[in-house]
Amino acid sequence: MEVRDQVRGCLLIAYRDLLRFWKFKHWLFSQIVMNLADVVIFALVFNNIVNRQYIPDYVKFMSTGVLAVSVFASSFSIAREVGAEIRREVVQYLLTLPTSRNAVIAGRIIGGTLRGLIYQTAFIALNLAVVGIPSPKQSVIILYTSFMLAAAMSALAIAITTSTRDFNLQATFRALTYYMLFFFSNVFYPREVLALRFPGALATIVTHTPISLAAEVYRWSFGYSEYINPTALYELTLWAFTLLVTASLLYRRNISGR
Amino acid sequence: MDLMGDLKALGLLVRWDLTRMWRRRMFIAMRVIWFTVQVSVFGLALSAMVRFRGVVAHSIDYYHFYLFGVYTSMLFSISVSNAYEVAEEFEEGIIEYHLSLPIKRSILSTGRALGGGIAAFIFTLPMYAIVLTLLGWGSPLALFASLIAALIFSVGVVGLVLSIVLSVKSGDATDILFGIIDAIIIRLSTIFYPAVVLAKIAPYYYAALANPISHFVDLLRTLFFFEEYKILAVTDPLLMGCYLLGFAAGLVSTAIYIVERKLEGGGWR
Repeated sequence: MEVRDQVRGCLLIAYRDLLRFWKFKHWLFSQIVMNLADVVIFALVFNNIVNRQYIPDYVKFMSTGVLAVSVFASSFSIAREVGAEIRREVVQYLLTLPTSRNAVIAGRIIGGTLRGLIYQTAFIALNLAVVGIPSPKQSVIILYTSFMLAAAMSALAIAITTSTRDFNLQATFRALTYYMLFFFSNVFYPREVLALRFPGALATIVTHTPISLAAEVYRWSFGYSEYINPTALYELTLWAFTLLVTASLLYRRNISGR
Repeated sequence: MDLMGDLKALGLLVRWDLTRMWRRRMFIAMRVIWFTVQVSVFGLALSAMVRFRGVVAHSIDYYHFYLFGVYTSMLFSISVSNAYEVAEEFEEGIIEYHLSLPIKRSILSTGRALGGGIAAFIFTLPMYAIVLTLLGWGSPLALFASLIAALIFSVGVVGLVLSIVLSVKSGDATDILFGIIDAIIIRLSTIFYPAVVLAKIAPYYYAALANPISHFVDLLRTLFFFEEYKILAVTDPLLMGCYLLGFAAGLVSTAIYIVERKLEGGGWR
């Protein structure tokens, strides 16, 4: 099969996934409310009791953190569908399509990535209003970070969800991933706070996870913090490629039944 | 039907909900993990970055404050999860089957509210034991009163869930409504922050004052640590207890009204 046909097949699958995104408008609405509530209620009130020595402005801190949460939530929406396909054997239909498995896998991941980017737009606007306006160079960095994070999270979600056919297990694995990625990150609290409560090595590891790296880039790009780890973007890129390759191989194995 | 028959039917309905909860082992495992992460990571980290000021400053440990909050949010979320179960029963026709049983509609709704509430209460007992182990068990009277309050609160929340799901009769509406309720009601309560801190934003403060979650969590705090929390609570402990009782009675009555008057005729969307 020609490369052109493969690319066309991949883009068609991504396009159909994108169209199906709007079917979940109820779920999307409640997700947006939940993410917004973290900023306009939780952060706004919590700002009055937070120690200013660690976080001068918790609303701005959380607004940028929620950007990472929003990419994760929407990218994981693709996993709900892929999980249902595995349970209902729709995957057999996907395998009969006149396109290669690689094109199917790439199409699903691109679809998930685009969903993440679209969903995040509202929260980018929120950050522009609440935190600050990035320079053109920083805007490109934000876009690159979101793209990398959305791709990595979509691939990870797809691989995790398709590892079992049991609906409850699928939901449990997704939730576990959320807890591990977000509570062990700097989305809700800075590194200094983690270092106060947990061993130094753990606090250091936490700052090098993809969610923490993305949150750090967002905070610097919107002007909340002046410092950024110079290797943050490289690390995030490395994470994204590692997760993309590993997760694609796992998804391939899971849909092939081997 | 006589009183004995009604009580027997009530017992059967409660058993139905308890059995159903027992079958959801994976859900239970997930919640236990969530609770563990909240207590061992999130709560500890939050407490490290909180510095109470002004009236709240006197010897309040945020971690202790938060532990009652995390138990309350757990009890609330488990009770709310009944909404998805009821929605599923609607889709599978089990609600129609229940309506066809030789059981009074008032007993049916009371039994479901009690059953769901007791199931959520029993399920969260190990978490409550962990919280009390970390905080100190307090007096037997405080322990007994707090358990009664927890049971009343969960029955009230299940009454609310039944009233909403059986009124809207829609899977999508249930999904969206409870997503929003879970997101907003918990944050607009005194779970994460005391009422005096909320008072800096008037609409949030009044929402928290009317919120049954605030009354329940502050009642727990004052039952165990009266001196520390009496000035931070939304109101007097006796009033908070009465509020919870009214909340549960009101919502179970609403559920009875809806089951008796509005439920028949299908219409599930």
